[in-house]
Amino acid sequence: MLYNANIKERIAIPLENLQKILNIALSSGGDFSEIFLEYKMYNFINMEEDIIKETAESISLGLGIRVISGEKTGYGYTNDLSLEKIKKVALTAASIASGKLQKNSSSLNSFSIKHNFYPVLNPAHKESLEKKILLVQKAYQTAQNFDQKIKKVKVSFIDQIQYVTVFNSEGLMVSDIRPLIKLVCLCIAEKSQKREAGFSGGGGRVGLEYFQSELKPEEIGKDAAREALNLLEAGLAPAGELPIVLAPGYSGVLIHEAVGHLLEADFIRKKTSIFWNKMGEKVGNDQVNIYDDPTIPHFRGSYNTDDEGTVPKKTPLILKGKMTGLLQDRLSAKLMKKSLTGHGRRQDYTCMPIPRMSNTYLDKGEYAPEEIIKSVKKGFYAHKFQGGQVEDSGKFTFSVSSGFLIEDGKLTVPVKQATLIGTSIDILNKIEMIGSDLAFGLQTGTCSKEGQGVPVADGCPTIKISRMTVGGME
Amino acid sequence: MTEKRDSGELIGLAESLVSYGRVNGADEIEVSIIDDSEFSVDVRLGKIESLVEAGSRYLGLRVIKGKKTAYATSSDLSEDTLQNLVKNAIKRADLASPDEFSGLPPFSDNKFDFTSLKLFDSEIRKLNSKTKISLAIETEKIALKDKRITNSHGSSFETREIKSILANSNGFIQEYEETFYSLSLGLQAGDTDYKVEDFWSSSKRHLKELEPPEEIAKKAVARTVRQLNPRKIKTQKVPVIFEPMMTSWLLGLLFACVSGVSIYQKASFLVDKLGEKIGNKRITVYDDGLIPGKLGTRPFDSEGVPIQKIPVVEKGTLKNYLCNTYAARKLKLKSTGNAYGTGVGPNNFYMQAGKMRPEEIIASLDKGLILTRTIGHGLNPVTGDISRGAFGLWVEKGEIAYPVSEITIAGNLQNILNHIEMVGNDLEFRSSVSGPTIKIQELTIAGE
Repeated sequence: MLYNANIKERIAIPLENLQKILNIALSSGGDFSEIFLEYKMYNFINMEEDIIKETAESISLGLGIRVISGEKTGYGYTNDLSLEKIKKVALTAASIASGKLQKNSSSLNSFSIKHNFYPVLNPAHKESLEKKILLVQKAYQTAQNFDQKIKKVKVSFIDQIQYVTVFNSEGLMVSDIRPLIKLVCLCIAEKSQKREAGFSGGGGRVGLEYFQSELKPEEIGKDAAREALNLLEAGLAPAGELPIVLAPGYSGVLIHEAVGHLLEADFIRKKTSIFWNKMGEKVGNDQVNIYDDPTIPHFRGSYNTDDEGTVPKKTPLILKGKMTGLLQDRLSAKLMKKSLTGHGRRQDYTCMPIPRMSNTYLDKGEYAPEEIIKSVKKGFYAHKFQGGQVEDSGKFTFSVSSGFLIEDGKLTVPVKQATLIGTSIDILNKIEMIGSDLAFGLQTGTCSKEGQGVPVADGCPTIKISRMTVGGME
Repeated sequence: MTEKRDSGELIGLAESLVSYGRVNGADEIEVSIIDDSEFSVDVRLGKIESLVEAGSRYLGLRVIKGKKTAYATSSDLSEDTLQNLVKNAIKRADLASPDEFSGLPPFSDNKFDFTSLKLFDSEIRKLNSKTKISLAIETEKIALKDKRITNSHGSSFETREIKSILANSNGFIQEYEETFYSLSLGLQAGDTDYKVEDFWSSSKRHLKELEPPEEIAKKAVARTVRQLNPRKIKTQKVPVIFEPMMTSWLLGLLFACVSGVSIYQKASFLVDKLGEKIGNKRITVYDDGLIPGKLGTRPFDSEGVPIQKIPVVEKGTLKNYLCNTYAARKLKLKSTGNAYGTGVGPNNFYMQAGKMRPEEIIASLDKGLILTRTIGHGLNPVTGDISRGAFGLWVEKGEIAYPVSEITIAGNLQNILNHIEMVGNDLEFRSSVSGPTIKIQELTIAGE
């Protein structure tokens, strides 16, 4: 018997063997055992210097076995799928416990998920390479022809299809098939010895039809070129404490860093997060509502089931400024005696699942964006972000690649390259106005935690923060 | 099936795929195989959190046909999958564009002195799980004795044993084995809303060179508690001392800007600067992958080009860009043996030590900052602009006065390289990019 017709040829492990392996994994007295089986195909096209420079194809196949015994986890993985080898991996993982078999695994029951958050018309992995090359060329040529000052263009296209099946000793057997594509463009503009780079891109858990109906490759090319050209004209960012207005969409990374990570249940359980003792408490301004939602159709961070086989839920993290929820995986939920939220994710079969974000956003408020900008006499408008980082203590930074000065309620001089720095709860309290224009950033982001990268998306409307430290050179 | 293919079998697989590619129409083909075994244990508050033990193999290949290139990788090493990948790659190569600069390096040499490089430590096979676990437990335990430490991110001990095989259609066929050990500890100090955190770790190829638990615990504690009760400072321009780890960070940025790939892509502020002054006379940087036993040491790069000691910056003059074969051909240079995967990476990329003791450098500072940590992104290699969140120690009259946080530093790499005032004697090869303590004349610190 087989569980996933699409990958049967490659990984035809009979059900009775899987059942056996789950039992071997429990043989030293573990409480829980699990097999994570993954098959992933990946294609890559790179265009630069006017030519299709290279293409790549990648196949990844393997399984990871996890055993939980109390608070301890044993993990092993292999890409040799012979029964002998898998049994050995199961024994290695089993050794985290030190006792005798307590209880055999329940019999596996296939559970099929009723929803599909990413139905696609033209799955990219089934489309010809020629078609994908055409998309790349369109973005490339549009960027290159946008302006004479554009001196260098680089466009890449990546598509991926990931087949995941989770089996566990509670009898769960569930599969997910996750498409993921992205088209990105990098431009370098040059003017009198000065060079600047611009970036844009798009994609998600979508088919190739996305680049016809949702976002044309030409738009990606233009957007990247425009950014590089704008930066050529940009001045140096200010340094010091200033009122800040965050642009909608791109600034979602701030929510991801300043709030999302610190509400991942492992950091709360270990009391390393600054939020560990603040459940139900006021941690921000009344207008602040923050969610993590793995169920948004076609978003990069979405999934039908998480990497532990849990069906995910839209999870409110902060409501009306009060901390209301956490991002849970199985281990933390069990140890904290909380319900699962479906946020146990892993990079691939070589990694243990840990609590992760999916699509994180600060929900819309009541102010018109213009009204927000108008309310600032002298400040900084953060437009595009390169990324950010946070530590458990709540200190975070964001790299702003482009922004504007705000003078007398208007966006004036364009500026580049600044860092915003602050601490989580402080910033949540200093949010003064929230716009009605909720938007999401580019569908190209990857979040890294403990060395594991997973696709994510984030968003927010226009937001005003009363004061924040801006690190520029002026 | 055997648990691990023996080395002859993996070399045989690489060779047979090279022939298979040639027979099926590839002009050139390169096959690499990595056979990797890993062990890691995480402990926290005295208990094991997780234990990972696993082995895996990956194969990568590059096919060139009519000057057109295609790549493929697989973790499925079954013969039919791999042969299909080769055939597919030859087909895909047809869809790429001809590129006169593509292709494998010419055959160089098949003679390498692996033993003198000291890449492998046979202790790894004698070390049992118990010893490994107790190293991590011991490290954390020592640190937790310090009452100022209020929480722990845990301690980890990891080992890796890697076998690398490379074969290509120009006649190159080699393999070598290497080992890695690392011991690390992360800590927090202070009350809930005023926590500070830091870590310390040691990574080596040889177990006996690894810093012992006492040393790691001591440094992690010292680095964490020195940040307690930080103050904010006003926005200003002051001299800044970079601790060795911060100099290494800066050198990582320099590497990105001297990488031949960034140069031919014009994505670096150092384009067309070969032979020119890019810093003052105090800066000399080498990339030397032949220093025995260091983390970035290797006999040949990922294309089989033998490693050398390459001067990158000598007394402020830019001497070489670091290239793989492709970037070198684009720039009309020679490969420097810096191919990593399909790109370019450092071997042992380091700044030459100076004569001053770090304490002397601090004593010379009338008013300024010791930069101890940065977080976030924030280098634009195209312009050399830098902007990062920072932590540090404020210095007045040559003495550390108090810690500072919630600041950012901003500057330009070009400018920084021209304003190095002092270079410390404390160079240690802690990673593949390393540097000593340095003092920079002036940087913008943004605070209140």
